[in-house]
Amino acid sequence: MSGVLQTGVSQILLKGQFVVLLYFLAVNGWYLILLLSSLLELRRHMLLIADESRHLLLSSTLSPTISILAPAYNEEATIDASLRALLALQYPNLEVIVVSDGSKDRTVQVLVERFDLVPVKTIYEQRIKTKPVRSLYRSSTYPSLVVVDKDNGGKADALNVGLSFARGELVCAMDADTLIEADGLQRMIRPFLYGTDVVATGGTIRVVNGSEVKFGRVVKTSVPTNLLAGVQVVEYLRAFLFGRLGWNRLGGNIIISGAFGLFQRDAVVNAGGYLHDTVGEDMELVLRLKRLSYERGGPGTIAFVPDPVAWTEVPESAKVLGRQRDRWHRGLADVLWRHRRMLFNPRYGVTGLFVFPYYAFVELLAPVIEAAGLIALALGLATGAVDWTFAGLFYLTAYGLGTALTAFTLILEDLSFHRYETFRDRTLLFWWALVENLGYRQMTVYWRLRGLWKFLRGKKDWGSMERKGFHPLTVS
Amino acid sequence: MISRQLLNIVMLVEIGLLVLAVCLFFAHGLWLFFYERRLARLTEAARDSLAHLATRGTVNVEEIEALRRLPHDVQVIAFLEISRHLSGSGKERLSFVALQVGVVDRARKLCESRSWARRLRGARILSRLDVVDPLVQRLLSDPHPAVRAQAAEWAAAQPSVAVISAMLALLADPATQARFAVQNALLRMGSVVAGPLATFLERNSGRAAEAGLRVAESLAGPTFGQAGLRLSRTADIGVRIAAAKLLGAVGDAAGAERLIELLDDSDSSVRAAAAQGLGRMQHWKAASLLAHRLRDSAWRVRRAAGLALRSIGAPGVLFLRRALKEDDAFAADMAQQVLDLPAAAASV
Repeated sequence: MSGVLQTGVSQILLKGQFVVLLYFLAVNGWYLILLLSSLLELRRHMLLIADESRHLLLSSTLSPTISILAPAYNEEATIDASLRALLALQYPNLEVIVVSDGSKDRTVQVLVERFDLVPVKTIYEQRIKTKPVRSLYRSSTYPSLVVVDKDNGGKADALNVGLSFARGELVCAMDADTLIEADGLQRMIRPFLYGTDVVATGGTIRVVNGSEVKFGRVVKTSVPTNLLAGVQVVEYLRAFLFGRLGWNRLGGNIIISGAFGLFQRDAVVNAGGYLHDTVGEDMELVLRLKRLSYERGGPGTIAFVPDPVAWTEVPESAKVLGRQRDRWHRGLADVLWRHRRMLFNPRYGVTGLFVFPYYAFVELLAPVIEAAGLIALALGLATGAVDWTFAGLFYLTAYGLGTALTAFTLILEDLSFHRYETFRDRTLLFWWALVENLGYRQMTVYWRLRGLWKFLRGKKDWGSMERKGFHPLTVS
Repeated sequence: MISRQLLNIVMLVEIGLLVLAVCLFFAHGLWLFFYERRLARLTEAARDSLAHLATRGTVNVEEIEALRRLPHDVQVIAFLEISRHLSGSGKERLSFVALQVGVVDRARKLCESRSWARRLRGARILSRLDVVDPLVQRLLSDPHPAVRAQAAEWAAAQPSVAVISAMLALLADPATQARFAVQNALLRMGSVVAGPLATFLERNSGRAAEAGLRVAESLAGPTFGQAGLRLSRTADIGVRIAAAKLLGAVGDAAGAERLIELLDDSDSSVRAAAAQGLGRMQHWKAASLLAHRLRDSAWRVRRAAGLALRSIGAPGVLFLRRALKEDDAFAADMAQQVLDLPAAAASV
């Protein structure tokens, strides 16, 4: 019986190996193209910004107005510092709209007390249908500050309310806890000034864990010593500098981080704003804007700015991280399913023919393939169809390739922005790049599979995100 | 099964790549460490010499020689750094020293390069040092928009007739970046641009006129009145909006009359711009007409009319208070919101 099983497994593995090998080669070949593309794009970008004097933009009354949409839910402890940091951003024509999404704590009261808010008659131009707005406040000391208190409806709903109040030609969507670099908006607006077809821009988001934060600004960058946070530093660098930047040159970015993105207001409003019934509302909006640009015409370029423009705190506990990754993967699955008609559809140009298939077959299905590979390997080893030496060699090959790609991403960062300067930081970064594949990666496979499973079962909850707080605490 | 031999080869390649990456990563870090220390030391020395020059106003031959001996990148960093803090005669002296040291000549050569990145760098150095050079003026028609934009930035400090005329021609530039840089530069040139820009606006329409109107609005001189009136009658909505804003900024009687007419424009954005213009010029005679616009079907017009009434002062506020008792709920609500606004927010 065991001989029959061994032969069966051996036959399956023999036939399946070429599929796996082809997939492995295709994915890694594509990664190589992305890496080369990132390198070229980064070089072009560095040439463009060398000796650039952005203060002209800062002093110009002609700069487009940007409305920052900052959704807040129970942010009583941090809202003061976060909002002051936003109001101090270096940009001439700025409006800040804080939308309290039915906060149950004293978020609104804190704002009223510390920013001299006065209630004004609650009427507005409803550009997108949302949950009711309870009250509207304006500040006696900060003319560009608008505070909206509304019924709870989720982040998407809060952003849609913000869109109804925004005066600016451009809107900046962000998370309440995102720390924006003082000149982040000046960097992010560049693509809008450089091109006529730009509908949205995103920038590099970095991990703030381990770094020193004062008054809502990162003042000293350090790589965290915590395993999960450290590995995520490397992961974020790879995702932004190699993934998104690579797609920039290939003309097909479809992701802008929900933590910080800049959009043409009218394009977002005309597209119907953010969707409520998805957990991947930021990616969904970007893909919808892209799709509509093909269907209706109009601006459709999603530009990515490699400059580090914002910082975010990442989870340091496996439980919370697992929930986050599960949600991200559910979001990805949901968004791709909603826009499935774009797949291999020449009507949608590069997006339909290359970008969408990449996200569907590489990003979405990667955990399935990886899990299948691990199961097959285990079966092969158990039945003796695969020998241990071969399995070890294969794992080391895959591991080595992943690590080499990450290492080259670290070099890209070092050649361009080199925010991690000390020997300690460099060693830690490299250490996390080596460690990433030993357990962490397999955990993310599990979380992403769980996300996929939940998507198939129709679950759409967000889960909660517990934050540890910046070091030292910014709470006033 | 996939041959072990193949895996061995792939692994060897990977190990090689990894070792290379590690070496590059740490070697670059080490190089950066020493380079930045050396750079800081040399830049400090150059900064000292240039600071002396700026404060004393005299050129010391030994100091120029010392600057000349520095690496080229250090020279550029030091000159560009100090150029930010100088203007007028201080900047002139700095440019003179840059010429003596060789920074200007090298920047000129860069401006003639076939590579756009080098031309951009050359134009940036010459712009920051305010060097008058026909080479940079020629870059106003460069094929790369970033270079054109940089040349426009340079032009802001060189307001000659030829430069202004070349800049005005660029108001129709298809590249947003170049157009924005040109608008910005014209604005920084100040009143010297008023005459040529007014003539330009009287002769042009479309995108070029719209871009020019935005500059004119910020300069807000009486010379633009006629052009504003003419362009407020064009079919292009964007131009009519910009013209209405200009008329509000100019603030003369003819402009006020035209803005009152524009309150009945078919496009709501133009009506809103007209209301905003009347508010900006605090034209109290238009208060009743603005109050009527509180009933407009478009939110933006009602809002602009309300804010305009508030900016007019007492007569406007009186109309707003009256509107609170209106049958039209839209008008009453808008009046209430505008009256509720704190003074700082009402002026935005």
